[in-house]
Amino acid sequence: MRAAKSAYPLTWRIMDALEAFAAFVWPARFGRAIPWLMLAPALLLVGLLVLGLWQIGDASLRTLDTSTFLMSETYTLANYRRAFTESLFAVVAWRSLAGSLMVTAVTLILAFPYAYVMVRTSSPVIRKLLLIALFLPFFIGQVVRAYGWLIILGNQGMVNEALSLVGIAPIRLLYNYWAVLFGLVQYMLPFAVLMLAPALTAIPEELEAAAGSLGADWVRTFRHVVLPLARPGLVGAGLVVLTLSLTDFAMPAILGGGSQDFIANAIYDQFFRTSDQGLGSTLALLLVATGSLLVGLVFTLFGAGTLAMGRARQ
Amino acid sequence: MREDKLTSLMLRRRRFLQGAATIGGAAGLSSLGLSSAFAQEPEKPKELIVRAWGGSWVDALKAGVSDSFTAKTGIAVRHDLTEDNEIQPKVWAAVAQGRVPPIHINWDTTTNATKSALRGVTEDLSDLSNLKSTTDLAKPVGLDGYPIVNTYGYVYVLAYRPDAFPNGAPKSWKDLLDPKYKGRIALYNDGIGFHFPAQVAGGGKLEDIPANMQPAWDFVAKMKEQQPLLGEDPDFTTWFQKGEIDAACTISTNAREAKKNGIDIKWVVPEEGAKFDTDGLWIPKGLPANELYWAKEYINHSLTVEAQQIWLDGLGLPGVVPGVKPPADLVDDPSYPTTEDAFKHLIRISSKVQVENESEWFSKFKAIMQG
Repeated sequence: MRAAKSAYPLTWRIMDALEAFAAFVWPARFGRAIPWLMLAPALLLVGLLVLGLWQIGDASLRTLDTSTFLMSETYTLANYRRAFTESLFAVVAWRSLAGSLMVTAVTLILAFPYAYVMVRTSSPVIRKLLLIALFLPFFIGQVVRAYGWLIILGNQGMVNEALSLVGIAPIRLLYNYWAVLFGLVQYMLPFAVLMLAPALTAIPEELEAAAGSLGADWVRTFRHVVLPLARPGLVGAGLVVLTLSLTDFAMPAILGGGSQDFIANAIYDQFFRTSDQGLGSTLALLLVATGSLLVGLVFTLFGAGTLAMGRARQ
Repeated sequence: MREDKLTSLMLRRRRFLQGAATIGGAAGLSSLGLSSAFAQEPEKPKELIVRAWGGSWVDALKAGVSDSFTAKTGIAVRHDLTEDNEIQPKVWAAVAQGRVPPIHINWDTTTNATKSALRGVTEDLSDLSNLKSTTDLAKPVGLDGYPIVNTYGYVYVLAYRPDAFPNGAPKSWKDLLDPKYKGRIALYNDGIGFHFPAQVAGGGKLEDIPANMQPAWDFVAKMKEQQPLLGEDPDFTTWFQKGEIDAACTISTNAREAKKNGIDIKWVVPEEGAKFDTDGLWIPKGLPANELYWAKEYINHSLTVEAQQIWLDGLGLPGVVPGVKPPADLVDDPSYPTTEDAFKHLIRISSKVQVENESEWFSKFKAIMQG
């Protein structure tokens, strides 16, 4: 008896019991459903999103009655007509779109060398410093960072104080379009570096060495070896930066001085300032549609990049 | 027999103690206007949640109304600093879904509160005993009964830094069109407070509101050339303090707050006039009966002279109860109108007209400023 016990330890018995319990709860004939079971949380999440979008879609077809502040019982396309015909929304949409494209381009240009040095440096100290500088902003929220720029770039801020030392009068550095884009680039940079770093790590250093040994200078190696191989990272980082910039609220609100609204600010105004949930929903849906179209366009032209999880189009 | 006598004595003592407690309680509560309701006084909640604006606004409410209410009733008051615009959909959704609303009392602009009243989510406050001692200002215009109780008025003044106006105080809103103030002016980001004086400054008439406000939009377009900063209440105080602006159309409380913080700042009501409006308190529907009772008593308490005096000293605004005295620094100040003559220079448009047209006005203003 004692020998049998030691031959079949307690932990095995526990495992047997767990297996029997699992077989009881999920019999072997249900095996085909396991992938669906694993997908269930994601499906639930997407389902909730679709449900929310359905409700937003429903609200977008109703107008606000300002004598009762209730939404209309009947459906109408009036909100969509307003969204497409009122100059305010065209201006804000164009500003958001152009701004997000510029922010994406500048962020990728700045993030690439940062990520490259971080990945390729042989100095552990430099790598750690770059990593700390990268992660530190993540611990500081977007709003706090925006207020930080108010302190640095304000009329009585550090930059203008420094300029005054050399006799230059204070310059209005804040509350304009460029201040918003500047704030967005600074906010997006860590996201882009984090998306680019794995793609650059995946490029064997030997390829660059081989290109050099065959006579290619640094520029040619970069253009014909590094850049094409880094494309998945650039696409992934670009998509993340583009969509986050397009939908940003805080930077335009804080650094724009109230006159540089993006679409998210216009949506906020409709929901919370004029209580017009119908028009707010319409603008929200149009923003989702615009973002989805842009992402679809990038997927079509360049593939999904690192977002394809190793299945990027070759 | 002995037992009977003892029981009788105990009963008499208990009755005496109950009677004494009743008299004492009634004496204490009479100052709250609760004496008539004492017999039916419902169970007290542990706390009341009052939505309020932050900074000096909530400090004044706490000092004037909430602390004294807690002292008299023992009910704690928690201030919820969610923005008024953001609490509104939450309250509306709670009422629509039959849930208990997230707050007991909403401290709100009368315009915003009127929207909630029109939607039917506000409790009627007509039975508040202290209403009979208030001025006409307490009554919301264009609404039946008291779905809101206005608690004070305020003026959207032209606040300015005197050193930026070396020739003396600005006399007109048009003075802000001087090129030297380019980028040095601030307005509310939806234009609130500026639409009506702009109508006059643009050559229009107040009687034409809302039918023809083109003069207002023309003047706003001229002001746009000055590249004004657009913000919310706290922004104005900050911008004055940080030297970002020289002048602003803002509620006098914000200018006074900057002045209290050591900034040299003054304010005027320009010749075209300045918008006068009110804020108020209201209770959302859906509260349990006992909580509704005490929420009403909170608002009733806010209408006492003592509470108004401290609350509005903090805000620097005129109240709705006769006998409230202006703070020493605001005696005869245009932002603290107390006489009929002082009101002549102020522009007051009914909340109903404002509510029905607000969305369109905001859109027009935004379209000009964002263009």
